[in-house]
Amino acid sequence: MITKKALPRRTFLRGLGAAVGLPFLDAMTPALSAAVKPPVRMGFVYVPNGMDVRNWNLDYEGKLGQLSRIMAPLEPHKEDILVTSNLTHNNGRALLDGAGDHGRCCGSYLTGVQPRKSAVDIKCGISMDQIVANEVGHKTRFPSLELGLEDARQAGDCDSGYSCAYTNNLAWRSETQPLPPILDPRALFERLFGADAGLTPEEKAQRNKYRRSILDFVQEDTKRLQTNLGPSDNRKLDEYLSSVREIERQLERAEKDNAQIDPGMPKPYGVPADFAEHFKLMTDMLTVALQSDMSRVFTFLVTREGTSRAYREIGISDGHHPLTHHQNQAALMEKVSQINTYHVKQFSDWLGRLKSIREGDSTLLDNSMIVYGAGLCDGNRHNHEDLPTLIAGRAGGYIKSGRRVVYRKETPMSNLFLTMMDQMGVKVDNFGDSTGALDGLALS
Amino acid sequence: MQLEPRPRPPLGVVFDCDMGNSIDDALALSVLYGLDGKNECRVVSISTSKPSLRSAAMCEVIGRFYAGAVSGAFSAAGRTLPTGMAVKGAHPEDTPMIKAVLDRVGADGKPVYQHGIEKLVDTAEAEALIRNAFTSQYDQNCVVVITGPATNFRKLLELPGIKELITAKVRTLVVMGGKYPSGGPEYNVKLDIAAAKKLFAEWPGEIIASGEELGEQVLFPVEAIDTKFSWAANHPTVDAYRAAEKMPYNAKCWDVTAVLQAVRPKEAYFKLSEPGRIEVMDDGRTKFTVAADGKHRYMILDPEKKAAVVEAMVELASAKPVVRQRRFRPQNEQKKEEKKEEQKKS
Repeated sequence: MITKKALPRRTFLRGLGAAVGLPFLDAMTPALSAAVKPPVRMGFVYVPNGMDVRNWNLDYEGKLGQLSRIMAPLEPHKEDILVTSNLTHNNGRALLDGAGDHGRCCGSYLTGVQPRKSAVDIKCGISMDQIVANEVGHKTRFPSLELGLEDARQAGDCDSGYSCAYTNNLAWRSETQPLPPILDPRALFERLFGADAGLTPEEKAQRNKYRRSILDFVQEDTKRLQTNLGPSDNRKLDEYLSSVREIERQLERAEKDNAQIDPGMPKPYGVPADFAEHFKLMTDMLTVALQSDMSRVFTFLVTREGTSRAYREIGISDGHHPLTHHQNQAALMEKVSQINTYHVKQFSDWLGRLKSIREGDSTLLDNSMIVYGAGLCDGNRHNHEDLPTLIAGRAGGYIKSGRRVVYRKETPMSNLFLTMMDQMGVKVDNFGDSTGALDGLALS
Repeated sequence: MQLEPRPRPPLGVVFDCDMGNSIDDALALSVLYGLDGKNECRVVSISTSKPSLRSAAMCEVIGRFYAGAVSGAFSAAGRTLPTGMAVKGAHPEDTPMIKAVLDRVGADGKPVYQHGIEKLVDTAEAEALIRNAFTSQYDQNCVVVITGPATNFRKLLELPGIKELITAKVRTLVVMGGKYPSGGPEYNVKLDIAAAKKLFAEWPGEIIASGEELGEQVLFPVEAIDTKFSWAANHPTVDAYRAAEKMPYNAKCWDVTAVLQAVRPKEAYFKLSEPGRIEVMDDGRTKFTVAADGKHRYMILDPEKKAAVVEAMVELASAKPVVRQRRFRPQNEQKKEEKKEEQKKS
């Protein structure tokens, strides 16, 4: 369909207290004019307690071939990832502050500074995602999104004198103000599509009572739009709205299941008992948010740094953190590898979904750069060099993926962030302990 | 934030050299490890301004010889101290002393000296390594010794916030470079004049220079090579010494003198000039001007101390490696033993 006038990128389907963003549609690209490139999205998926590096590291550079055991689930996306080695967070190290590597590594991860050692008088730095959000956030409904799956405590001592604010947040709006992740899928759903701002308490109660889909509220607007779209866009819109509806169904299922399950631990209402299901539900919503350009920046703290969560879903009843202090006992190391692989599997499944969403000639994954990594290298040694890191997506064509790049020792992780900020259109001279931009991401 | 839960550790030393260009650098690093073994200092960073993997590898060989494959300073983290290296600079070529050490193989055909540097990524970005070393030192508990061109420090001084960090952490910079009170151009300065100019102009703290004229008068006695190192069947510094020049010769000690001044200033091995300012001319000559508020001084040979200097050099360079326990571990073990004893008694 050829139109002279393009559909604005930030079109919403609106209804009673609801607003649903739209995916990138052909109709948003004006025909007979220069092609509009989809926006680049930037995100961070952080896993805690380092990695079993024996089973994470690759023993070659260049084109990705045989993946390591932990990375193996990423095999279908081998051409879409770039594995980096030797990136270092010096400010995660003790630097005379003694114990507390978990607090420091998470606090410094996106801020590039050493957190102040205190359980009450916190001080960190503005995180790079928030620097980007401050610059480009006005283009989207949400400057940034912060997601997590576990424990949003903000007070107390979570690691040797380091506040829980350091272990339980990735994003920092200012030196003293972390942005806690949303853990509850229902809360995320309502933030993305919801209605709190426009609904009276009575209207909200009415909506909940009848359990109507949010799509019902925007039905009229949807019909109006559909008449103006071509067949390809109508198919995309249909798929997109179906995915929104599917998320609603998952939420309903989770809430119903929770009424019957005694998890034996405090759990927020609406949170699936199963880790993989929780991960999927949150990333499904994140996908919709990225697809519809509700936000271009996100952080996802998979579980809090230093977590002792057990993974009974895969037969591991020991806590994650105690396991990582395995003292080279083979049986314990094996369990750490299993947990690391389990996390990567969830991530890989999500990448598959991002890859299935077309944006013109590319995919949503192509137009993203998503760092998957840990703030510690080896959880047993608590070291802060050679951090396990990979970048999924091509940042709109900038990153030449399908490779492993090994950097020189002590190369600051902040150099990667400086380069990523540049790709998001944010020009800064330095960040954290950066020594310059990171070469090698764009090399073929 | 700086907590001080325990007594300060020994002085941290950042050592930057051009390993391979003269035997002096190898001797200086050996002396430094001798001082490290006596707990007078800790080697916290080693880098070379010679853009050569083989130069970096030789630094690592000497480091491993004294400190083991996992170095003392980083043993708590179970890692080797990485070696920093400049990627651009003068004299990238191999030299006889490097070949003698790195190419020496044993009867089994394997290299006699181990190192882990084969590719550029096995080395560290020198400016990041040095900066990071500063961050882990107590205030005013660090010294810097430069015994080659100041190439790595030119980049270091461009990092944001570095001057404040140096001011807080570094007590003194001792640099082998220049000729005093004026003259030159001296070798190290001439190899990277721009870096030397920047170093002397912008270094925020005290600089003590070891000039060409000083090292020429302090000689390492060749007899010591045969007599004092005999405890080691294979010693990289000895192999390097024998290959560096035609034997027998007494090596000039421009760099070793810098190390002694940096770690043992109280010994007053050398006289120091009045305070002033060292300026590097465009052609590489150096000029010292007296100034009461100046932060620069240069070392002057004290004939009365010359014998003591040579004795210290020989003793320290030929010292046996010290196997160091992990920090604080002995105390922990002792506490455990005491606890066991108490339990037995009760």
